[in-house]
Amino acid sequence: MPLHVTLGVLCIWSVLPFLWTVQTSVKFTRDVLAREPVLWGYETTANAYRAFWLGDDDINMWGVFAYIAGAGLIAAVLGLVGKRMRRGWPWYCGAGVVLLVAMWRFPKIWETNDEYDFLVNSIVVTVLTMLISLSIGLVAGYGLARYSGISGAVILIVALGFRALPRSAFVLPYFFGATWIDDWLESSGVGTFDFPLIDFPFIDQLQLLDTRLVLVLALVAVNQPFTIWMFRSFFLDVPKELEEAAMMDGATRLQAFRKVIIPVMWPAIIATGLFTMLLAYNEFLFVRVLAPTEWTLPVAIVSLTGGESSRTITEAAAAAVSITLPIVIVIILFQKHLVKGLGAGAVKG
Amino acid sequence: MATVTLSELTKIYSNGFEAVTDLSLTLDDGEFLVLVGPSGCGKSTALRMIAGLEKITRGDLYVGDRRLNDVAPKDRDIAMVFQNYALYPQMTVAENIGFPLKLRKVSKAERNEQVRQAARVLELTDYLDSKPAQLSGGQRQRVAMGRAIVRRPELFLMDEPLSNLDAKLRVQMRADIAGIQREFGVTTFYVTHDQVEAMTMGDRVAVIKDGLLQQVDSPEDLYAHPANAFVAAFIGSPSMNLYEATLRRSEDPSGDCQIDLGDQRLTVPAEVVAARPALEAYLDQPVVLGFRPEHLEDAAVVTEHPEDQRLDAVVDVREALGAETLVHFNLNAQGVESGDPDALDEMRDTGRCTARFAAETRARVGDRIRVNVDVRNLHFFDRQSHLAINA
Repeated sequence: MPLHVTLGVLCIWSVLPFLWTVQTSVKFTRDVLAREPVLWGYETTANAYRAFWLGDDDINMWGVFAYIAGAGLIAAVLGLVGKRMRRGWPWYCGAGVVLLVAMWRFPKIWETNDEYDFLVNSIVVTVLTMLISLSIGLVAGYGLARYSGISGAVILIVALGFRALPRSAFVLPYFFGATWIDDWLESSGVGTFDFPLIDFPFIDQLQLLDTRLVLVLALVAVNQPFTIWMFRSFFLDVPKELEEAAMMDGATRLQAFRKVIIPVMWPAIIATGLFTMLLAYNEFLFVRVLAPTEWTLPVAIVSLTGGESSRTITEAAAAAVSITLPIVIVIILFQKHLVKGLGAGAVKG
Repeated sequence: MATVTLSELTKIYSNGFEAVTDLSLTLDDGEFLVLVGPSGCGKSTALRMIAGLEKITRGDLYVGDRRLNDVAPKDRDIAMVFQNYALYPQMTVAENIGFPLKLRKVSKAERNEQVRQAARVLELTDYLDSKPAQLSGGQRQRVAMGRAIVRRPELFLMDEPLSNLDAKLRVQMRADIAGIQREFGVTTFYVTHDQVEAMTMGDRVAVIKDGLLQQVDSPEDLYAHPANAFVAAFIGSPSMNLYEATLRRSEDPSGDCQIDLGDQRLTVPAEVVAARPALEAYLDQPVVLGFRPEHLEDAAVVTEHPEDQRLDAVVDVREALGAETLVHFNLNAQGVESGDPDALDEMRDTGRCTARFAAETRARVGDRIRVNVDVRNLHFFDRQSHLAINA
């Protein structure tokens, strides 16, 4: 009982700021700014969400919510049916219907609203950072778990050292590094060189600063020590006999890694991937410094709270809630993988 | 299936540790050879060199006429069963067994057929769709066996495959493995630290200690004619009793000899000494005397025994096993250490002696008893080299 009380208090303590944000996002500005906090019985509105996602468009936001909820419900029902039938098609149909309606309903907003650029930036940066960090981390973690030499220990300790440094220590070096490369690209003419036969779309001038690329590179670099350590500790739990058995069965080292080790590592990949996703998706400092205009969503939100004006405070809250929801959903979907045991049944147990 | 030849195989690790030294062995086609030794004696290293999981520092490995030193494990056509089974947890039993065939690009229909056949032999047919985590220890063991036999390799390697099973299952699997091996007739190299497994399963048994091969022989010969004191003590349970003793020619004209064992004396008939001519050279010198627990009898039970082939003792510990009773007592003589690192520390360098008496014995702790010694089954070893004095 005391345990439950303690956990309950801790739970409320952690959720309270988020609840406050949710509340702020559906209030009118006058209630938000009231000297006495209005905690109950206020008039609700979806204006903030409309302002952030739809610009000045005159769409009823509650209708949009209802539409999203309805689509989600259809997808969920079809997903359950598919699971029950052990067939994929109802699930794919559900996803298709939702996507189709979304495409039909949203292009207008898509073209007129900046926020969607930031959303795309966020998605691209997050996905690329995850892909690159996980690939490098998997291979490096595997190598460092199986190889126990001095140089391996040195690499691990250096990685740990970099991990221990505050992230703000890296921002300026990256910034100056990128600036230096851009200067070189410009002065040497490489950046503006017209390659014969290749016409890069959307790019007239090669540069590093203020691109998604520099964000991905920087985030991969700061995140790499973490993924390597994480994967290494997971690999240490995978018995060496597993890959040896695969090699005796006729697999090359690479085949043993791909067909036997990687499948065992899925929970680890999902867990590490989630942490990497959170890091990239939530990053503020690096984006603010390295990409003055190519923002991702967190910076976009902060731009709403900036300055003297507090007119857009509800819009910032609405944005915060909107960009947090996908993360919450992903975590709920995958949380069982975060705790799932590794390699159960591989060896005696 | 093929003859396997190990020629002076040596493994020296990068830190200079020499795990296996000049190991030479030949396995005949279809033979079940067990390599047995105490922990850390290099037996697993030897196995892993054959598998290709450890690089061979020196020496040659032949399977058939193929020299395999520099061949990758996957191309050696050798199957291995690991101590912890090493089943692939994400695959079903059928996929586990079929994995080696899949890697060899065997067609799906043929693969299924062979997997089913192997599962039938191993009594796994009902579990083909289960995951390893759902199986019991014995079943996992059989899946590991199935994965090894399904592709009919030239050589089976087994690394202590029974050590993770409980005692009862181990006895059953011992018989099962031997049966499967005979059925498929595959040359098998089996590593264990358990001398009971070695004796019961092997066509021949190789005893190894500190990376050095001690003796290779059939289980019977190993037991009856150990090459040195280590093998003598290692094979057989409980271990052979080893003491420092002196052999003397007795004064009477019969030619009998006497053994001074501490403050006691045993008479050895002349023909026993005559059967081992080499013993002549050791007369009046200290030697290592060995006798097995099963060659001792309770004089109160077996009364027909020459009086001068008996020892006096006071019972320290009594273990009734039902069919027989183990009795421990102290002989006032210098014990000899066989060099088995797994032996209990308190057993070293004491005059502790174990006897295996018939169940009818009435000896209780503290009793003063007489013990019959079967002098025809005495073993003599050189005091320095511990080598058997036989010829």
